[in-house]
Amino acid sequence: MTEQDVIRKTNEVFEESFEIGKERLVPEAHIFNDLGLDSLDIVDLVVALQKKFGVVIRSDERVQKIRTLGDIYQFIASLGQERTDRKDA
Amino acid sequence: MQLKRVVITGMGAVSPLGMGVSSLMQGIAEGRSAVRSMPGWEAYKGLRSLVAAPAPLVNEKDIPRQARRSMGPMSIFSVQASQEALRDSGFDSSQLASGRVGCIIGSTMGGATSINEVFEIMIPKKDLTLLTSMKFFQCVSHTAALNVAQFFGIKGVVMATSAACASGLQAVGAAYDLIRLGRQDAVLCGGAEELHPTVTGSFDVLFATSAGFNQSPSETPRPFDAKRDGLVCGEGAAVMLAEEYEHARARKARIYGEITGYHTCSSGLHISQSSREALAVCMKNALKSAEVLPAEVDYINAHATATVQGDKEEAEAVRDVFKDTVPVSSLKGYFGHTLGASGALELIATLMMMKDGTLCPTRNLTEVAEDCKGIRHLQKPLQKKARCILKNAFALGGLNAAMVVRAL
Repeated sequence: MTEQDVIRKTNEVFEESFEIGKERLVPEAHIFNDLGLDSLDIVDLVVALQKKFGVVIRSDERVQKIRTLGDIYQFIASLGQERTDRKDA
Repeated sequence: MQLKRVVITGMGAVSPLGMGVSSLMQGIAEGRSAVRSMPGWEAYKGLRSLVAAPAPLVNEKDIPRQARRSMGPMSIFSVQASQEALRDSGFDSSQLASGRVGCIIGSTMGGATSINEVFEIMIPKKDLTLLTSMKFFQCVSHTAALNVAQFFGIKGVVMATSAACASGLQAVGAAYDLIRLGRQDAVLCGGAEELHPTVTGSFDVLFATSAGFNQSPSETPRPFDAKRDGLVCGEGAAVMLAEEYEHARARKARIYGEITGYHTCSSGLHISQSSREALAVCMKNALKSAEVLPAEVDYINAHATATVQGDKEEAEAVRDVFKDTVPVSSLKGYFGHTLGASGALELIATLMMMKDGTLCPTRNLTEVAEDCKGIRHLQKPLQKKARCILKNAFALGGLNAAMVVRAL
């Protein structure tokens, strides 16, 4: 999956699950302060990302550190990279 | 202790006949049926009844996402009906957070759509990881009450009556009791329900649904009729503002009527079959608590769902208490059986009939069944200024409720 695919699909999650317009979906957007999500939304964000990308991240401690949309792009991309690394190994 | 008086000062509804009380009354006045075929329901193996009365789910995005995320359709209906009721009442919204205003909205079993979604997610792989945080709030039996209370910032008593098809009337009754006792000044109260094939299915397996009119939906249900063959499920929400009389008077509120009597009881005899004796006891006790004689009642709004057994028992019970003098009609031929919403929705329609001076007939009642004779059925509109009405609501589980309302 390309970086652009990660960004596009992550943004789709925010549009579909949280009804946030495309124009607000910039990498530096803080998911609580700028996009208005709260702790309950984070549970649903994880579920939606799992569904969208076919990954299991519910117990991944790195989720706790996510603050911006850019953090999510990087985190999802790193999962893809980890899978590639595991295959290569 | 001097009990307080309780009046209805605001009403709101989302019904199969449309958004708002005016759509409800216009549909009834025009004799329209909201019952239609339900494409896709035939996929449910063994489901005999393929008709229902859906309500319009519109303008839901007017409710902000973070408030709406915990709402299934029935909670959205309830918020919209509550908005209308509060607007209609002219109630000062700053009082909603005073702790003196409550919210009691009943339903049969909570959010049927969400409950089924949870099963569909969890059961195939016993996997919890795809469950969203909001499913609990959308499913629970108090989903409508909690969502309305949270949406309006209500801090008083919040409860959800759960007595199947008597839930809505029990909610109004519970509000009546709280206000009478002086524990609340006002309560948003009523009932809500949402359609799902499994809801119709729960009646279908008991052979209580209408299955003979799948090709001609508007001809069913047929309360008290010789060709009645069961109920048709509907959905929606009905909410009214019950208010302490002096409180309402002090703010010069319009009063639709005063609740003067209420009773709810169990038959203690059978879980599914209505009992003529128990229904009569319920109505008599409601009249007694209102200090009203049967002859003083101007109109009875029947529960009559068009089941073969239930209508017969209700007709007999009404005959036992009122003989054949009081006009009786059921509204389910217009919009089906809205289950947990029905008692409150039909009470709203009845209060509007009192206000307008026209008593509406039972739709689809073309030939009164032999076993439902001996009471004064309304088969056409009756111009009559009803001053005192009785509303019945009965439920699976042998539960009964009856309420008396007087015009002021």
